[in-house]
Amino acid sequence: MISHFLKFLSFQGTPGEYGSTLWATIYILVIFGVASVAVMLMTYLERKVLAHMQIRLGPMRVGPHGLLQPIADALKLLIKEDIVPEGADKFLFWMAPVAVMMTAFTGYLVIPFGRQHAVTNMNIGVLFMLGISSLGVLAVVMAGWSSNSKYALMGGLRSAAQMVSYEVAMGLAVVSVLMMTSLATGTGTMSMIGIVESQQQQGSWFIFKFFPVGLIAFAVFAIAMVAETNRAPFDLPEAESELTAGFHTEYSGFRWSLFFLGEYVAMIGVSSIAVTLWLGGWLRPFPNALGGASWDTAFSCAPGILFFGLAAGCFIGFARMPKKPSFKVQAIGLGVFGVVLGMIGAALLVPAVRVRVQDIFWFSAKVGVFMYLYIWYRGTFPRYRFDQLMRIGWKVLLPVSLAVLVLTALIGVRHELVAGLMGVTR
Amino acid sequence: MSIAPLLRKIFLVDLIKGLSITFSYQGPKDCQTEQYPQERPQIADRFRGQPLMKLGENGETLCIGCNLCALACPENLITMKSDRDPVTKKKVMTTYVYDVSRCMFCGLCEEACPTQSLKLGTGYEMALYSREGMVLDREVLEHRTDPEPYDK
Repeated sequence: MISHFLKFLSFQGTPGEYGSTLWATIYILVIFGVASVAVMLMTYLERKVLAHMQIRLGPMRVGPHGLLQPIADALKLLIKEDIVPEGADKFLFWMAPVAVMMTAFTGYLVIPFGRQHAVTNMNIGVLFMLGISSLGVLAVVMAGWSSNSKYALMGGLRSAAQMVSYEVAMGLAVVSVLMMTSLATGTGTMSMIGIVESQQQQGSWFIFKFFPVGLIAFAVFAIAMVAETNRAPFDLPEAESELTAGFHTEYSGFRWSLFFLGEYVAMIGVSSIAVTLWLGGWLRPFPNALGGASWDTAFSCAPGILFFGLAAGCFIGFARMPKKPSFKVQAIGLGVFGVVLGMIGAALLVPAVRVRVQDIFWFSAKVGVFMYLYIWYRGTFPRYRFDQLMRIGWKVLLPVSLAVLVLTALIGVRHELVAGLMGVTR
Repeated sequence: MSIAPLLRKIFLVDLIKGLSITFSYQGPKDCQTEQYPQERPQIADRFRGQPLMKLGENGETLCIGCNLCALACPENLITMKSDRDPVTKKKVMTTYVYDVSRCMFCGLCEEACPTQSLKLGTGYEMALYSREGMVLDREVLEHRTDPEPYDK
């Protein structure tokens, strides 16, 4: 048992490559759990950050600074009445949230959180990811159509039109990255792990490759991915002021929470694609400029230091709590939370843990930036009109992504020709 | 289209401006929200809230039973009965009922009072579960001057 465990730990690869169903299952369960917790955290952060952007406080009552709000929300959703509208297609109505969840979570199979921290190294990773995430449209249409409600149907239709039209630009932006992966080796790869490794090999994140071509491709993807996940400012399928709640108008309680979970999981999933393809996945910043063992050590301390920073934030909050008896419980709770965070930070500084965790840390840090961007967009931009949305998709993003594709090909060929003339051996 | 607006559009200048504005608002110092039951608002002295009857230095009532407050009240919610004291031949207030449920806190009763006995105080937490509790008698008006603070 122990030897089995140690053997797997010493193996430098994914459970898929190791060929163990057991370890793959464990990884899947862990990812499922962590993603769910991340979604809970995300809902809290979204409410809090959005509130601060609107000069409000956000949740403050449940736990210190509202830290237990997600738990209260989840509990509320679980005990709510589950209504199926009359005249709804019962089977599809029941299937739609399940389909949303399945499509959102299946994509996580190929996301590489680290060299060893992916369920499997699929050789068509990106294609699989895009295909699965497009299936989400089907679930949304199912939900909208089966509800027997005009609002829901309108939401579903909008969602279908939007997701289908943005997928084109998104796919073309991805293809330019796939071309870049073939530069040094001659053969490109679609494996998510392979893409990160080729960024490592070429010594540059693909966002900076052939500047500004990589950057433009990334920008196209970054816009398309917001539209793809139905988030503000492209949240037309759930436009509150027009369609009450869009395709999930008729859903309540637990099923609604599945949609919610699916949406946030999809957000994290799509951000993970962007991070893997353009921002070097699990690679730490400046692996070449600041190379060497000492820098490696310094960077691998970052997760611990981050947790220490969070703990310090908790203690500052603890100190700044009003000195009134009514705040006592909250203050103590915040203090204990700070201590827990500090202990996690200390654990992350242990060398054996540090080395294993740093991949995951850098990956999640980059994804976290995207999550913040999502909230930031929502706090800033008004919703686009539907014709504006379609115009951006077809008349701006699609031509730009096509141009990027052609440019990448041209520059890549020139690059290879020059390399060939100079007699560079690979 | 001239070149400057086009460039502004390509580089999403307007969007970035908006983003920077929302980002700068995130500082907690801008927030005006009051954590109400725990943090209590500052109430001005002349705020017109919970009615009360002031007492003299020795705890005697200042009311002379003149009925001016009842006459001044546009809602006719003050009911006062007075009697003439057989010894001093002065009017003495016997019953005083103030129905807060109909009060609009205009303050006319307060202004009418010649002895400044009646006052609309600074108490503002007057929510109740029953209408009966809104009808305040003399005892309540004279002795419940401050609202009971929330502590939990």
